[in-house]
Amino acid sequence: MTKKQMLILFIGAVIVAGFLVYANLTFDAYMLRVLNLIAIYMSAALGLCLINGFTGQFSLGIAGFMAVGAYAASLVTLPIAAKESIFFITPLIWPFSVLELPFIAGIIFAAIVTAIFSFLIGFPVLRLRGDYLAIATLGFSEIIRVVSTNTISITNGALGLRGIPPYTNIWWSFGFAAFALFVIWRLINSSYGRAFKAIRDNDVAAEAMGIGLFKNKLLAFVVGSTLAGVSGAFLAHLLTAIDPAMFRFFLTFNVLLMIVLGGMSSITGAVLGASIVTFLFEFLRYLDSPMDLGFITIPGAPGLRMVIFSTLLILMILFRRQGLMGSKELTFEWIEKQLARFGGKKGKPREGDSHANP
Amino acid sequence: MGKRFGVLLVLLAFIMVFSGTGLADEVRIGVYEPLTGPMAAGGQMTLEGIRLAHELYPTVLGKEVRLFVEDNKTDKAEAALTVSRLIELHRVNAIIGTYGSSLAMSGGPVAETAGIPVMGCSPTHPLVTEGNDYYFRACFIDPFQGHIMATYAYHTLGAREVAIIQDIAQDYSVGLSHFFRQAFVELTGDPASVVGMSSYQTLDTDFTAQLTYLRGLNPDAVFAPGYYGDVALLITQARELGMDIPFLGGDACEAPEFIEIGGQNVEGVAISTHYSADAPVTEESTKFVEAFYEKYGHAPSAFAALGYDAYLLILDAIERAGSIEPEDIRFALSQTEGFEGATGFITMDETGNAVKTGVILQVQDGEFIYAGSVEPQ
Repeated sequence: MTKKQMLILFIGAVIVAGFLVYANLTFDAYMLRVLNLIAIYMSAALGLCLINGFTGQFSLGIAGFMAVGAYAASLVTLPIAAKESIFFITPLIWPFSVLELPFIAGIIFAAIVTAIFSFLIGFPVLRLRGDYLAIATLGFSEIIRVVSTNTISITNGALGLRGIPPYTNIWWSFGFAAFALFVIWRLINSSYGRAFKAIRDNDVAAEAMGIGLFKNKLLAFVVGSTLAGVSGAFLAHLLTAIDPAMFRFFLTFNVLLMIVLGGMSSITGAVLGASIVTFLFEFLRYLDSPMDLGFITIPGAPGLRMVIFSTLLILMILFRRQGLMGSKELTFEWIEKQLARFGGKKGKPREGDSHANP
Repeated sequence: MGKRFGVLLVLLAFIMVFSGTGLADEVRIGVYEPLTGPMAAGGQMTLEGIRLAHELYPTVLGKEVRLFVEDNKTDKAEAALTVSRLIELHRVNAIIGTYGSSLAMSGGPVAETAGIPVMGCSPTHPLVTEGNDYYFRACFIDPFQGHIMATYAYHTLGAREVAIIQDIAQDYSVGLSHFFRQAFVELTGDPASVVGMSSYQTLDTDFTAQLTYLRGLNPDAVFAPGYYGDVALLITQARELGMDIPFLGGDACEAPEFIEIGGQNVEGVAISTHYSADAPVTEESTKFVEAFYEKYGHAPSAFAALGYDAYLLILDAIERAGSIEPEDIRFALSQTEGFEGATGFITMDETGNAVKTGVILQVQDGEFIYAGSVEPQ
């Protein structure tokens, strides 16, 4: 990394941090909530992006891992008094019933538990390829949901957990999103990352070149799933209430949508996709409520926003199948060129400048 | 075209953002209900009642009431977001909602932090209002509903041994079966009087395994606190298995589809609910039923009646408080006593739950017929 790039990175970080400070001071609780959700989904999308986009392993288990992370963290951070009032049908089992740890401990615990779960599930199923893997991970996600519905002495079943302390704030959620971004960025540009991409592009060729398929797939799967798990923990501490029905296939679909929209194998794409989908879903709410345009009043129709959103998606798939970013990234070279252009120092930027990876 | 289109979008965005703010001299009431997603039917029914109430009583303290309706998509994250949106963007004075206890539990803390009172219409789970000073509800809670059906099974049916079949994936069903069991054991004094408990999952369509197990236990009656579709199907299969014992249900069975699906098989099934159009309890209920027929052309469900009452309870609190400050509304709501609503006389207890009469309906000749009331304990 050159000095100039460090400077760009630093300025970028300052701008983001400055925006967050500004948001924290002036935005209302609603906007902050949307921002929090954006950051949380961003972390999950980055995790899925690593597995699906860069390693080419089509995993549909993200909701299951988010559930594991959410429950793991909530069970250790929930105040003991709250635990007693929530578990009124069957009491909570021993180690959790006396635990009341700080948030950071909950997050670490969530990361460890999801890492173990993803290793245990990844170990057998990563021998499968393509559609089979997708089905196996989807099945796992459903199993997690069904198990959490039935193990009442741990998860409180369908009644769910309530009264989780609202620890998640802008700093935690964006801090973790930045951490996830850093991890994925470093990983992708290491020899592991090149191995991941080789496996995605042609696993037979990759194996012939001496890349350990299983080891690399498992690494990507565990890292990606753990990021999703921790994002689930943040989600639980934002909503303060969770139940198994939250983690249906729909959640996986939502995160998948973000990376498809942003561009499957692009970190920038995952970030953009998570921001756009979350923001747009809230913004399009205006379509649901009655609109008074002065000369005509349109009665509100609940669900209209979803129709519009789906239409946008269909158009997207028809006209830009590779997603907003495709496999392109926002690179230092591109930023430098843009700066040079606006500074008026160097020549015109050419088409396709954003191709190269840093 | 790209740039111009972008500018247009931004302009449109600004117009939309600012069109949300309006006159100061109005009362703003927010509504968050599941208008799409798996619970959409319940949310829509409730909204019908709220809209009717708004039409009949459009003003309070000489100020116009404005409703802000948001859809929470039957999603917990969205429920918290919509409450936040109502408070921050629409600057509401009070909120009504929501069908589905799990949704109310994620929306509740947001309102509590912001200090805005919420009047729940039909979330019956006890934990919705517990420990939250800003959440109230117009319906009774599951422990009371369990008590109603246990009393009915014990006294009216003369059952001494009952079995329960619950939907383990629904918080409502799991909670209600727990409270029913508690109440029934209390009546008989014998923990073994609930002879068996069996579970299924939402979307299951084959209940024969569970039913065969329960049939072997030979209970006097079966309590099935699930949603209408599952329960109707379950009873149909029970009849096919030759189980002729009485079946009991909860308020989630009160839907025309229950009888459509169950047909002849659900004859005689008794359910507990909040209200019956056949037995208007107050003057307000007569007025509500008539106006509802006129506006929508069909009989109101209990959820519509609860939505109607939730709106009226807030208006009543504003009138008594003589103020539209959220804190004053909250205090007045907590002092509600003997309020005459469409679903009966409502008094708030110290937790914010409505203490009111429960109604039992029975299916007779393809219709829900009023079969009695149970007074609060």
